[in-house]
Amino acid sequence: MSEEAGGREHAHLDEVGEAARRAEHLRAVGRLDDAERVARAGLTADPDDPRLLGALSAVLLNAQRHEEGLAAADAAVAALPDGERGHRLRALHLSMLGRHEEAVQAGYRCVTLLPEEPAAATGYARTLQRAGRLGDALRVAQRVVELAPDAADSHLLLADIASDMPDPRSRAVARRAYEQTLRLDPENAAARHDLAVLDAVGHRPARALRGLIEAGRMDPAEPTTIRTVAAVLWQLSWRLRIWLLVATIGQIAAAQTVTGSRIAAAVVLAASAGLGLLTLRDLPRQALPVVRGAIRTDRALTATYLALAYCVLVYVLILVSGFGFMAVTVWVVLIGLGWLALIIRIFRRRR
Amino acid sequence: MSTDAPDPLLTSLLAAVDAAPDDVPLRLHVAELLLARGRGAEALQHCSRALTAAPGDPPARGLLRRGTAALAAPQSPQSRPPAVPPAAPAAGGTERPPARPDFDWRQAEEDVADVPQLEPAFVEEAGDPVVEDVLHAAPTVRLADVGGMEQVKQRLELSFLGPMRNPEMAKAFGKGLAGGLLLYGPPGCGKTFLARAVAGELGAGFSEVGISDVLDMWMGRSERNLAEIFRVARRKAPHVLFLDEIDALGQKRSHLTHSAGLRNVVNQLLTEMDSLSGKNDGVFVLGATNHPWDIDSALRRPGRFDRMLLVLPPDEPAREAILRHNLHKRPIEGIDLGKLVKATDGYSGADLAHLCDTAAERALADSVRTGRVRPLTTKDVLTAAREVQPSTGPWFATARNVALFGNSDGSYDELAAYLKKNRKL
Ligand SMILES: Nc1ncnc2c1ncn2[C@@H]1O[C@H](COP(=O)(O)OP(=O)(O)O)[C@@H](O)[C@H]1O
Ligand SMILES: [Mg+2]
Repeated sequence: MSEEAGGREHAHLDEVGEAARRAEHLRAVGRLDDAERVARAGLTADPDDPRLLGALSAVLLNAQRHEEGLAAADAAVAALPDGERGHRLRALHLSMLGRHEEAVQAGYRCVTLLPEEPAAATGYARTLQRAGRLGDALRVAQRVVELAPDAADSHLLLADIASDMPDPRSRAVARRAYEQTLRLDPENAAARHDLAVLDAVGHRPARALRGLIEAGRMDPAEPTTIRTVAAVLWQLSWRLRIWLLVATIGQIAAAQTVTGSRIAAAVVLAASAGLGLLTLRDLPRQALPVVRGAIRTDRALTATYLALAYCVLVYVLILVSGFGFMAVTVWVVLIGLGWLALIIRIFRRRR
Repeated sequence: MSTDAPDPLLTSLLAAVDAAPDDVPLRLHVAELLLARGRGAEALQHCSRALTAAPGDPPARGLLRRGTAALAAPQSPQSRPPAVPPAAPAAGGTERPPARPDFDWRQAEEDVADVPQLEPAFVEEAGDPVVEDVLHAAPTVRLADVGGMEQVKQRLELSFLGPMRNPEMAKAFGKGLAGGLLLYGPPGCGKTFLARAVAGELGAGFSEVGISDVLDMWMGRSERNLAEIFRVARRKAPHVLFLDEIDALGQKRSHLTHSAGLRNVVNQLLTEMDSLSGKNDGVFVLGATNHPWDIDSALRRPGRFDRMLLVLPPDEPAREAILRHNLHKRPIEGIDLGKLVKATDGYSGADLAHLCDTAAERALADSVRTGRVRPLTTKDVLTAAREVQPSTGPWFATARNVALFGNSDGSYDELAAYLKKNRKL
């Protein structure tokens, strides 16, 4: 090869490398369309460059276009058979496409190629997790934490896998790992959100709400947060229903006399207020608009809370009028809500 | 190449198209070949057939546009009969060329031009023959070209245009040119356009840093470049520095754990903006982004981008200006702008341009099919508006979450108020 040709070759390589880096940067700041364009433009000059193919495949992973992304990853592997990244991207796309067996194989290939690389092990752990092999996934995640103990992402991976496991011990592991993630990266919205989910699962709705509001502040654009808030409000509404059911039994038992009714209603209202305060005591001021917004996003939730507000209103009316048998309408409303919940559950499961 | 020279490839492809009339890619391929061989009118007919089979198909639309451009250009189709010199088109006004192997666009337009019942282009301008000068595409845009959006313009005027014009007076009131203003809002609603209009006002007192400059910064030489940009701005003070798509430059550092280079750029931007706010040295930074919530919160602290200005989908006067601009160069007839403005609430500027394109394609396809120019009407645009939904929906869905979760410091009050007014919160 002549000197001049060698120089040209070198300049060309540089150009391709620069295009790959450009694409990676654009992906890092979420400009997936631009990133894809840059990567594809680079590929017209050099269709077999593994860096460009990897960059393109990674962009498509973020864009959740897994068929195309898999094709790019396959090409990257063909161009550089011992490159870890190509195998990792293949594994992740395969996993998202539900082809778990191949995905796990590709993931395993990554850790054999680069046994000390946390990113390789992370990819492997994710494929195992999505394939439902949670025990294996957890062990690999522990290895990731050993390899990169100071990276928040390692602990987040461990927490995420552990929180998928049903036993209480794993849940404790998950909680600790989430907390460690937040110590290393206090603005990690995903960890904050998922920790709140653990709180909700552990029947601590108020704590969950507080965590969710914090997660929302960290990353307000994340659409799942408001949906999780709605889920927690469903949970809270069940508590309210059970409480109202019990309270109504007492109310009807005391409905013989006007004073009895009034006293019972006063007790129920006072106890409701007390319980409410106790649950929601240390929610931030911002909770109110968030809760209102979440209730409004979901029609069924709106209906439920309107109905529960009506029940409280009935108790106020009893307190004023002394007519205790009005509490029967609370039961009617609660039964109606039960049907609503049942119908919604069937409908949503079908979707 | 002449149209009647035998062309085996084309002949066989044409046969294939006849055999599979609904194969859109095949038809487009044929159209492409026809266009390349100068048989533009036939190409257009295939395009419009393809568009009927697959409405809105982007390749088909692209080809259609190119085909029209080729036809509109006076001398590009080689098969145009040389007997009709482009210099004397008026001569053909009354007598028609007997045989037209090609569809002659200009000729057709002239044919229609003297049909007496043709209405004035814009309804409310009956009697005014000149519509061309309403919004001509001047090389630089001025604020006067930005339709509507009075509030936004006022805020721009107050925060830096005024001080730029009267620096001494501004200083006397303790309002020297310093700090930054961040334009934000749904995509395609005129942030960049507004900033360019500001540039038109300020001339040399304005410079822009776009996404590609930012990308260059990332490629190693980054921090020095940013410093360089600010140094030049200081030297030219009073000066407005426009950083477009600033989310690409000032992304949350916590999102950038994997890219030390990017984090450095953010740090450098913070330093540069701090050095501005202290010294009051006559540089104002204007930023624009669709996603202010992705920007590192340190960038929004006092002295940096401490003011935010919401640029909403165009209001009625703005929509009128945009529609007018997008329609005035096309063959139109009886366009009722008022009606269109009413029907397009919530559409972005880019959406409106897209509507006009879609409507024009439809009218063009009709024209090609019949061989006579059918001008674009109000109905075409309204039909397009029914098919094309405003693209701002997803942005507002996100914005709603932001107003709920991210407004504890009141920085999104303007957004929250708008959402509430439109019953989106
Ligand atoms: N008020 C307006 N007046 C005239 N044209 C406008 C107006 N608002 C938007 N446009 C048009 O919309 C197009 C898209 O706007 P742009 O500035 O690119 O959007 P953004 O930067 O907000 O994403 C511009 O090219 C411009 O022609
Ligand atoms: Mg823009």
